[in-house]
Amino acid sequence: MFLFNLFSFLTGHVVILVTGEAPEKFVNMAASRGIHLWDISRVREGAILLRVRLSAVKPLRHIARRTRCRFKTRRRVGLPFYLAGLRRRKALVAGAVFFLSALYFLTSFIWFIEVEGNERLSENEIIAAAEEAGLSRGLPKWKLETGRLEAAIQEKLPLVAWAGIDVKGTRVTIEVAEKTVPRVEDRRPSDVVSARAGLIKEVLVFEGHPVVKEGDTVLPGQVLISGEIPPLTEPSSPGAERKPGEAPKIVRPSRYVHARGIVRARVWREGYGEVATVETGSKPTGRRKTVFSIKFEGKEIILSGKRNIPFEHYETETFVKRLPEWRNIGIPVELITVIYNEVAEYRLERSWTEAYGKAEEIALQEICEKLPRDARLLERWVEEVQTGRRDNLVRVKAVVETVEDIGTDRPINQ
Amino acid sequence: MAFRDLRRKVRKRLSELFEIPGDVMLDLPKITLVGNIQILVENHRGIIEYTPQRVRVCTGDGEVAVGGEDLILRNILPDELMVEGKIRTLSFN
Repeated sequence: MFLFNLFSFLTGHVVILVTGEAPEKFVNMAASRGIHLWDISRVREGAILLRVRLSAVKPLRHIARRTRCRFKTRRRVGLPFYLAGLRRRKALVAGAVFFLSALYFLTSFIWFIEVEGNERLSENEIIAAAEEAGLSRGLPKWKLETGRLEAAIQEKLPLVAWAGIDVKGTRVTIEVAEKTVPRVEDRRPSDVVSARAGLIKEVLVFEGHPVVKEGDTVLPGQVLISGEIPPLTEPSSPGAERKPGEAPKIVRPSRYVHARGIVRARVWREGYGEVATVETGSKPTGRRKTVFSIKFEGKEIILSGKRNIPFEHYETETFVKRLPEWRNIGIPVELITVIYNEVAEYRLERSWTEAYGKAEEIALQEICEKLPRDARLLERWVEEVQTGRRDNLVRVKAVVETVEDIGTDRPINQ
Repeated sequence: MAFRDLRRKVRKRLSELFEIPGDVMLDLPKITLVGNIQILVENHRGIIEYTPQRVRVCTGDGEVAVGGEDLILRNILPDELMVEGKIRTLSFN
């Protein structure tokens, strides 16, 4: 039935009112001549409504005359009549055609470029490489040569092992697979120097010449493991006396290496924290209202949100969006989003112990943030700092003793 | 008339012998009822009367009358006719 309805809509049909003495005769004759009639219903004595295909209306005239009936068209249904109606509304048709053709035309360009699979390379680098090879926003699709582009990207970025370009509609996805490159070892001569002052606990040399030993105190910047290996001298044979002033025989001249090693030292780190016993301030309550408005030539039109803000105290965040200017033409419309965050004032009183605990936490936190991962905590001291002033601040200094690797590389300038 | 009756008898026999359905061989109407809402008459010869309460259809074997309420002719083709509505009675004259 659905198919039949669809067909009759596409080909068009009319609802006609047949009046006469015996409309049954009319129906019989039409049916016997192969004219398809449907939805026949009687409206009153000697008058029936029926539906008939558009192409069968003409032969019905003859039948009506033969059966002494009259018929009048009541309603026209279907696509042909609709199209005829459109003929009078040329602008609408033109608009629809223009819309469809514009849509079709715009879909034949590339509007979005995406990058997938990059880890070390940034998206911008890949997009820049693609742009150099000719893939940019607004490129017509028929000018896109994926094979050549893939090759160009691979050539331009040596880190890319494979590049694939996938076009889906107006979106281009550049998929890359990066090469795994072995880490390049730094061979330039360098020293290991101290980054912090401390007491050396152990020295483990992988490469280089140790300058300090256990128990030494070092200052920041002091060389711990030297990259310069001193010349090897021939050990003087026992018994043979060396003449004073005679230079020892050099077996191997001094050379420079990239010094590597672990130098662990005891290091003291300090942290400071202060907390007020009476704290006042304001903090957001979490309630917020957003107001969107459009600004046009100094006038603000609120699109959504209330004009009056129901908060007593609030902070505002404002975001302004405007269309980019093109040549000298700027569009004087701004979209303004204002977020009103409600804030509430608060007053917090702490006892001295509470404040002290909090300050200690802050001081230790400050130290912990700077602590390297391999550091081992040995001991810690916390003490209050007395300033002599009468105020409601509790100041705390914390000292932590750790054992950590204090060496950093410093290249040797030859 | 006797000749016509004879021909009918022969045809009936033949249709029984070869198991050919009566509507093909004997020019009888084939009536399909769907509950009391739809009736399909095949092999009809045209409608005699149509009102919302009563539809009389001419067939090769006399007249079939459908009685009911709000009857409409849903479909009418040279040899097929469908009536819809509340069907109460179906009689053969």
